[in-house]
Parts: sequence; C-alpha cells; structure tokens
Amino acid sequence: MSVFLSSLGFGLISAAVLAIATVGFTMQFAVTNVLNLAYGSIMINSAFVSYYVNEHGVSAWVALIGGVITGAVASWLLNRFIYTPFQRRNLAPITVVIVSLGIDLIGTFGLQAIVGGGYVSFNQSQGHEYHFLGLILSGLQLIIFGICAVVLVGIHGLLKYTRLGKAMRATSANRNLARNSGVKTQFIISTTWLISGALCGLAGTVFAMNAGVFEATSAQQYIVLLLAAMFLGGPGEPYGAMFGAITIGVATEVSAAYVNPQYKLVVAFVVLLGMLTFRPFGLFGSEKTN
Amino acid sequence: MPSYGFYFAIILVYGAVDAMACLGLNFEFGVAGISNFGFIIFQAMGAYTAAVLSMPNAAHSNGGFQQYVLGWHLPWPLPWIGAAIAGGLLALPFVFLVGKRLRGDFAAVGLLVSAVLLNLLVTNYVPLFNGAAGISLVPAPFQSIWNTQGLGYQFSYGAVATILTIGVYFLVKRLTESPFGRSLRAMRDNDIVADSLGKDLRAQRTSVLILGGMIAGLSGAILVGFITLWAPSAWGYAETIVLFAAIIIGGAGNHKGAVLGAIIVPLGFEEITRYLPPVGNPELVPALEWVAIGLLIVLFLWFRPNGILPERRRILSHDKNDPATLAPPETGDLAREMSAAVPDDLSDDHSDALIKIGNVDRLNFRDLLRLGEPVNDHRVILSTNGLTKTFNGVTVVSDVTISINQGRLTGMIGPNGAGKSTTLAMLAGTLSPSSGQIFYEGRDITSLPSNKRALAGMVRTFQLASEFKKLTVLENLVSAIPHQSGDSFFGALRGKRYWGAEDRANIERAKDVLDGFGLFQYADAYAGGLSGGQRRLVEIMRALLAEPKVLLLDEPMAGVHPNLAHKIGDQLTRLCDSGMTIVMVEHELSLMDAFCDPVIVLAEGRVLAQGTMAELRLKEEVVEAYLVG
Repeated sequence: MSVFLSSLGFGLISAAVLAIATVGFTMQFAVTNVLNLAYGSIMINSAFVSYYVNEHGVSAWVALIGGVITGAVASWLLNRFIYTPFQRRNLAPITVVIVSLGIDLIGTFGLQAIVGGGYVSFNQSQGHEYHFLGLILSGLQLIIFGICAVVLVGIHGLLKYTRLGKAMRATSANRNLARNSGVKTQFIISTTWLISGALCGLAGTVFAMNAGVFEATSAQQYIVLLLAAMFLGGPGEPYGAMFGAITIGVATEVSAAYVNPQYKLVVAFVVLLGMLTFRPFGLFGSEKTN
Repeated sequence: MPSYGFYFAIILVYGAVDAMACLGLNFEFGVAGISNFGFIIFQAMGAYTAAVLSMPNAAHSNGGFQQYVLGWHLPWPLPWIGAAIAGGLLALPFVFLVGKRLRGDFAAVGLLVSAVLLNLLVTNYVPLFNGAAGISLVPAPFQSIWNTQGLGYQFSYGAVATILTIGVYFLVKRLTESPFGRSLRAMRDNDIVADSLGKDLRAQRTSVLILGGMIAGLSGAILVGFITLWAPSAWGYAETIVLFAAIIIGGAGNHKGAVLGAIIVPLGFEEITRYLPPVGNPELVPALEWVAIGLLIVLFLWFRPNGILPERRRILSHDKNDPATLAPPETGDLAREMSAAVPDDLSDDHSDALIKIGNVDRLNFRDLLRLGEPVNDHRVILSTNGLTKTFNGVTVVSDVTISINQGRLTGMIGPNGAGKSTTLAMLAGTLSPSSGQIFYEGRDITSLPSNKRALAGMVRTFQLASEFKKLTVLENLVSAIPHQSGDSFFGALRGKRYWGAEDRANIERAKDVLDGFGLFQYADAYAGGLSGGQRRLVEIMRALLAEPKVLLLDEPMAGVHPNLAHKIGDQLTRLCDSGMTIVMVEHELSLMDAFCDPVIVLAEGRVLAQGTMAELRLKEEVVEAYLVG
C-alpha cells in the first residue's frame, strides 16, 4: 500500500506537469492542425533558460518566468516563420511533421552543442516533507502541483468565459467558418501559439525541477507521453488533454513502482497504439465531418 | 597503400547498406506515401536476426558473457535470408496502423513511438539481445575458411553487398514502373480517392511495408555481418530521420535520388566526421551533426522540396520507339508549359471556357467504357432504407429512403447543409451510415467497403479537387481502369512481359477518352497543374474509366464555366442513354432543369420531395425551402 501511495503521489505531480504540457500541445494541433514534434525541444530549451537565470542568483520561481517567456516566444516564432509558411505551400500534411522533426533535432542538439552533455540541476530546496492521506510530498512538489492546478483552472476560465477563448474554440472547430463569422483567425492562431508556448515553457521548467537533474536530451522521450495523453483525450481537445494527461501520468508512475521503472513508458505506448488503432478521435470524441 | 584499400572496402559496404535502406524507405515513403517514422527498427530487426541465427548457442559459447535467443549457428546465406523474412514479418503488426482510415501523420507518429519503445525494451530486457551492451562477436560469413581481416575478403564483402543493392534497385524500379506502382503513387497523392476508385489501400500498404521491411532487414544483416556487433545505440529512432533526410535531399520517389541521398547524408556524414579533430566538449561534433541534418531537412523541404533528382514525369502518350504513336506536334510545347507551371496559376475560369469538347460526340461510350448492351429498363438499381448519419450528436442525414432508377440522370439538390454530399458519401461507402441500409442491384451493400463498391460498379467523384497531383493526366485516367493484371504486387513482379500489352491497350483507351473530351494536349502534363475546369473533366473521365454502372457525382460543375458545364451535362445525358446510371449532387438549378430527371430535394437531412423539376416547382414547401432562397 505504501508503495502504491508514494508512487501515486509522484504520479500526481508528473500528471499535473504532463497536463500543462499536453494542453499546450493539443491547442497547437487544434488551431493549426500541426503535430508539433519539436515541442519537447522547446520545453528543454525553456528549462535551460530558467536554469541560467537561476544560476545568476535569481530565485528558481522567478527564473521560471524566463522559461515561460522563452517557450512563448520560441513557439510563436516557430509557427510564424516555419510552420505557417510551409502550410501555405499546400504540401502534404506529413511535410510539416517532418519539418517539426528537423526542428526538434536542431533545437535539442543545438542546445547540447552549447551547454554540453552534462547534467545540471536548479539551485532550490526541496522544502519540507508533507504527509497527508498517506501521500508523502515535498514542498517543491506541492508548489509545482499548485502552479499546475492554478494554470489549468486559468485555461479553463480562458476557454469558457472569455471572448478570446471562445474565438480559439471556434477557430479550432472550423477555421474558415470562424473567419467568415468575423473571428480574426490569424490573430487567434498567433495568440494560441503564444499561450500554448508559454505552457510549453512552464511545463519544461517544472518538468526539469521535478526531475531534479536534467540535460539537453532529457525531454526527448517526453513526446511519447504527450502523444499518448493527447490521443487518449482526443486530438485538439484541451479538456481531453487534461483527462488523458492525468490518466497517463498516474498510470506510468504507478506502473513504474510495480514493474521495472525502465518500462514505465510502455503503458503510454500501449495506450497510444490502442487509441490510434481503434479510436484515433479520442475516448469521448467521435469522427469529424471532414 | 593497403590502408586505402581497407578504407574503400569499408566505404563500399557502408554505402551499399545505406543505399539499400534508402531504397526500401523511398519505396515506402516516396512511392507509396507511407511515412514510416519507425523504419530503423526493421533494419535493427534484420541485424539482430542475422546475428542470432549465425551465432552459436549462447549458453555453450564465449563463456556465456552475453545472452541472446536462438543461437542456431547457421551458415551463410541462411542468416541473411532469415533477416529479410524477420524484417518482413515485423511489418505485420503495423498493418493495422497504416490501414485504411488513419491519417498519414497519425500513423507516422505511431511508428515513431513504436521505434522509441522497441529500443527501450531491447535495451532493458537483456535475455533477448543482450540489452544495452548489445551483441558482439557476430560471426562474419565464411570466417572459418577465409581471413576476414584480409583485403580480398573485405572487397568481396563489399562487392556482394553492392550486387545485392543493385538487385534491390531493379526490384523496386520494376514495381514502381508497373500498373501496381501507378496505383501506389495514386494512393500517395490522395488515398481516399484511390480507395473510391477500387484500390485496396490496406493490401497495397501491407505489401509495401512487408517489402520495405524485408529490404531494411537485409541491409541490417549485411551491416552486422561486417561490423560483427549490434547494440540499441545503433538504431535510435533518430536514425530514421537521417534516412528521411537522405531521401528528401536525393529526391523522394526517385530511386536514383534515394541512392544519391544515401551517399550524401548517412555515408557522407559518417566519413566526414571521422576525420574531424576533437573540438570543444565531447558531444559537440555529434550534436552539430544532428543540427546539420535537421537544417538540411528544413532547408531542402523549403528550397528544393523535390530533392536533387526529382521524381521523373512519365510520358505515356507516345512510345519513343514508335513514331506512329507520336502526339500531335503542338502537344509537346503545351504539355511542357503545363507541367512547368505552378498549379494555381492556371486555375481560372477563363481557360475553362476555351475547352472544346470537340470529338466527344464521336466517342462510342458503350465500347470505350465497356458498358455492355444497354438495358435501360429503368428498374431500381440503387436504393436506401432509412439512411441516417450522426456526427457528434448532430444528425446530418435523417431517415433518407430513396430509389435510383437505372439509366436515369437523377439530381439531388438542397440548400447548404441539407446532407446531399453526406448521402452521396454513404452511397459510395466513403462514410458509413449510423443506421439504415443501402441496396445495390438487390444486394444489401451497407457494410461493403468503398473500394469493393467501386469494383462492383459504383464510382464517385469528389466535391473538392481530387486529381492525383503528381500523376500525369493520362496516368490519372489509366490508374482508374479496374482489373489490370499488372495492378497487384505479384502481377507487377512478373514484369512488363506479363502486363505490357494490356497496359498499352489501356493507355490507348484512355487516350481516346482524353481526345474526346478535348484535353489530349495535356496528356503528359501533371494533373495538379491544370485549371479548375480541366481538373473536373479529368476527374469525370477517370471515374468513367473505372467502368461504373452507377456514377455518383458530387457537384461536378462547381467552379466550372457555364458553357463547359452544359457541355458536360450533354455528355452525361448521352452516358445515361448508353445504359449508365448517374446520381448528381448540384447547386445550379438551371443544370437540374436541363438535364436531371428525376430530382430529389433534401432539406435539413430529410427528403423533402422528389419528381421532375416542373413538378417540384409546384410544391410550396420545396419552393420555400430552396427554390426561392
């Protein structure tokens, strides 16, 4: 039981981080129909920016803002100057995915070329250990969990109660129809990439904090979790992404406690292939008209 | 000098292995359009299989310092053959992923993730292939009777590898240049349309993945026999991206381009970095190598998306060796002009008006399209019972019960969102109904897949442009002809001697149709470069060559110049007189007036009325729902 509970605690933190990351990832897919496989590389680059700010004596929680800005700006630039121009050329959709793989290599290994291959860690304390309901969590983990929860509630508020959020949902449902109904889709797409990029940067930094030590290629396999969480909840569905991320995050960490932790990605893998084979539109979704 | 000799032998082996792998991937990606982001696992499978088939039993040899399965100690060439088979078998689980319905990019990430996970599993599960440390001391072929360190052995190894690669080159070329290859390229350009013309996407993709897997497996076997070790670090998922970079740079769809790409990227990078002095941190050079590969991919896709050696345009309209089949003299220039043009430049209405459907009245549709003797008994050939379609809880088509009479041109009209196209798509099998049945020639075909419906004689066209862009106009037409003996994997393997004469006859048939519709001068132009109206005509001609009994047209006149629309209408009427049944979804009432009888009116997913246009104009609810608005 204690193994279960301790892994559950760790799983909840991982799940919260994954939820932030997946919501950003799925929002990008929703408004531009791009599977941005370079997402992990922007996460880790953001984490390193936070790390260097932290190195200069700034508190890690303030340095986090540097990571958020990096993620937002890098994602916006990526969409504005790479993905959008490629999409305008009317090439096969797979072309943009291949481009995103190329960008992932440039982002990840460009970073590695600059920072080297060594592991680094944030200069911050783990905080007190807290016990409740049998779970044992460090202060650091609780803060990460709190940040993620606040951000997820914020995203919910944005999508549900603001004009911007409604316009984002309209754009993702049908871009042409939204444009014809007076939504400034270009602006909405740009804003979505800024917001999702900020989520990416935030997720990257707290992922690195949660991992303790990290290096340039640490986020390379994160794409497996992102894809599994997104497809479980339905591609392009922010609420589905939250559900998928919590399921995948908890399942991988709990399974890691019982089988070899090296195999923890297997759960995500099985889920992903199962979803792709049987329900590529998500657990709750149904096929789209086009 | 001897050191150079060894160096060249090594280059020869690596070059042959890389070229072979690129040929396999190019066949999958460049020809058939399957983005196999997990290609490297097939090579790894071959390498491991060849290793454990040629190695002695793990328990009784090498002091047991490594663990692995099998250990059958088989003599060459059995391990290599086993490797190819294993590579092919590995394709089977992925057939479900690349099957019919899944988006290409979704299938691609599925394969990518599979590659990541298989690597993880092999790394951590030691008893299979010795885990992260990998397998070493793999016996080289003939090592007991030949000094494998000698120059003679190494060059012979390179020669064998090169010969096998040349063999693979001719194999994939033979398949690509066959009617089967044409179907694969059609599937690559637009799989839903290829399916609607009767192509079995799952069968095509299965055979391509198996062959690609076998080629990759063999390349892995050749590599492992030479370097005598194999470990998970050699086949990280990113290695597939290197091969993709090679194909994109060389020219996807062009087999010579694949070989060139293999020489430039994997081979070039290996050999260049071997002699770089160590600078900076130890990760710097490999990291910059990956950055360079990423940059090459992005820059090439932007500046030269077709690669250094682009896919060749196939000229079918005339035989080089037979002057009698030469096209009219003005054709050449125009065709060249067309193919050079950027697609969108030509799609304007003005050029449509110039199309003359000159000779079409002389065409004998019945013979040309193999329609058989006209029956025209106007019996019910196609009917539905309570057809309903729901998307996300929204009912788009509700309880549609209609009958289509043989030999008639039935129109289907209704305001936007009335469910016309959805109904047509359900008739053709592109969408499956939520409930209700469809009967064709007295048979319940509700669950018959769309490609089988096409082969049974129900062929559809699409509302949006659906030409196979990188097939020529003539290829578009010929690809639709059903029951071609060269249009299967094994038929294509038997070579041109088996299918050549039949294919020439098919080409002549398509040329006649093309001539009849006044587009002969564009025979050898890429279909993607035509104007909107011309593409519509190509689509209709292509559907006709699929030998339909029932032709389902989804707004065939949309965006077509009115003059041309009426010419098309006249021909459709003639087709019905020749015994064909046509269902046409259309917006334009004047066309309905002129050509369609009867007309079915749909509104909000329901059948509102049916009858002749004259009858419909008298019905108040129809006038209200549609005719006025």
